[in-house]
Amino acid sequence: MNFALSLLSEAAEQGVIDRLQAFTDSEGQSIASQQMADPDYWGSVGIIALAGILVVFLILAILIFFFWLMGTIFKAVDNKKKSKAAEKAASAAPTPAAPVIEAAEDIADNGETDQDEEIMAVIAAAVAAYSEQDGKEYRILDVQRSGARTRSAWGLAGISDNTRPF
Amino acid sequence: MEIFSDTIGGLISTSGFMGLDIRNIIMILLSFVLFFLAIVKKYEPLLMLPIAFGMLLTNLPFTELYHAELWNPATNPYFAPEYIEQGANVLVSFTKETSLDYGRVLHDGGLLDLLYLGVKLQIFPPLIFLGIGTMTDFGPLIANPKSFLLGAAAQGGIFFTFLGACVLNFLGADFSLKEAASIAIIGGADGPTAIFLTSKLAPQLLGSIAVAAYSYMALVPVIQPPIMKLLTTEKERSVKMGQLREVSKIEKVVFPIAVTVIVSLIVPSAAALVGMLMLGNLLKESGVCDRLVKTAQNELMNIVTIFLGVTVGATAVADNFLSWKTLFIIALGLIAFCIGTACGVLLGKLMYIISGKKINPLIGSAGVSAVPMAARVSQKVGQETNPSNFLLMHAMGPNVAGVIGSAVAAGVLLSVLGG
Repeated sequence: MNFALSLLSEAAEQGVIDRLQAFTDSEGQSIASQQMADPDYWGSVGIIALAGILVVFLILAILIFFFWLMGTIFKAVDNKKKSKAAEKAASAAPTPAAPVIEAAEDIADNGETDQDEEIMAVIAAAVAAYSEQDGKEYRILDVQRSGARTRSAWGLAGISDNTRPF
Repeated sequence: MEIFSDTIGGLISTSGFMGLDIRNIIMILLSFVLFFLAIVKKYEPLLMLPIAFGMLLTNLPFTELYHAELWNPATNPYFAPEYIEQGANVLVSFTKETSLDYGRVLHDGGLLDLLYLGVKLQIFPPLIFLGIGTMTDFGPLIANPKSFLLGAAAQGGIFFTFLGACVLNFLGADFSLKEAASIAIIGGADGPTAIFLTSKLAPQLLGSIAVAAYSYMALVPVIQPPIMKLLTTEKERSVKMGQLREVSKIEKVVFPIAVTVIVSLIVPSAAALVGMLMLGNLLKESGVCDRLVKTAQNELMNIVTIFLGVTVGATAVADNFLSWKTLFIIALGLIAFCIGTACGVLLGKLMYIISGKKINPLIGSAGVSAVPMAARVSQKVGQETNPSNFLLMHAMGPNVAGVIGSAVAAGVLLSVLGG
């Protein structure tokens, strides 16, 4: 990474890039053609491209290190809190509440695929999160609009009335 | 009767019909094509529609809304005054500078000239970034900081295209270094960043670069999947990634502050974009500035979007737009997107190997910004291969890292070539 910065500073020191930048249209030739005629043109182009991508990587690598460090600290703090909470919970004999999951899948059938995809992504996220919780794997094969191909409330009432004894 | 015919004659001679030439007509027809893309095809309509309308307005003769000559230092140079006292008299001498005379813009400019000041003085793109910041959740990136690498890799498209634009000079493209850098930034797949850099380095190409950038961003779901499938095996694509850890509020608050400090210290020229992005995000994550968040992500963002779109469109005057350069820009923009996607996926593959097959390389393609479209493409391609796969949150990490990455890349190019 230092290499990238040294490349850039070297080019800056020599003033090559400044020299290439100083061309103007007024000499009857375009800026580009004057720049291309310069013997250092390709060297500068290469340095800008190489040093540019390396500097981007350098900065993002520094950010990775910083946030990795921050994440590690926060995870450690979090674990401590959790273990303390677990100790307290164990002494208080908790009554676990059964999770209630209600799914309302109502995709507007308006042909807007963009919106459909967004809703599909949200449903997939919910299923993925649930699957992580109970350790089982789910796959989404189809998502249907609620109400489609189902019985009316009266129909359901009739069925439940007729089948209640069984 | 004579008065009547004079009046009619005067009206005809001042009407736009007298000023129409074939180049104007072609540009007006091109703006109709953009209307079609925006309204019917829904290609980034929020920006494409104002861009198309700006293009239409600027190419209608005698409207005097936008004057290209006011924005060219060759035709509107600034003369810096120098005052020399000689006894009771003060002599003034003027030195011709390479910058623009903004006084003349204010004096002679039309509506779009005045609005264009916001682009030229680099006010609008950072304000858009402020709005984007209030809508972005950096949680997935904080939970998995390695995503930053994918966001960086996808910027490879920018620098490869920079080389490509210079090589194209052999085919008569005639791109200066500044123009090559402005075209290359299309690969960052981030409209405001592209406009930010181009308005500084190559304002004459602003119209064509903005149109290319927004068109390709809209085409991400078409451009990316074939490259992603070509570069990965079915086994790699079907890798399932575990749920991301939950990120605490303190981490989310520290993130924007830390990113601003680190990035601005290393590349000060990226501070305008990254700083405003992070300010927006801090407003959101702090949870104490709800009113400001609402304004930044709704009213402010919408107002700026209209101004930005219509003025960027207005720069697309026939002289600038109708040249071979525009065709080269469209070709290079596509190449930039493809290479950016490929670089992201290839680094994803490398991370797949290094991580012991735990990382799905498909999330790498999301590193090209284009939030959230690129992340959705990763999710979709992943789910096509393995229906139980859920990559969206994992892809959001590289996706938002890509926004920071392209802003940094723009800052680097600006600091090297902006002088």
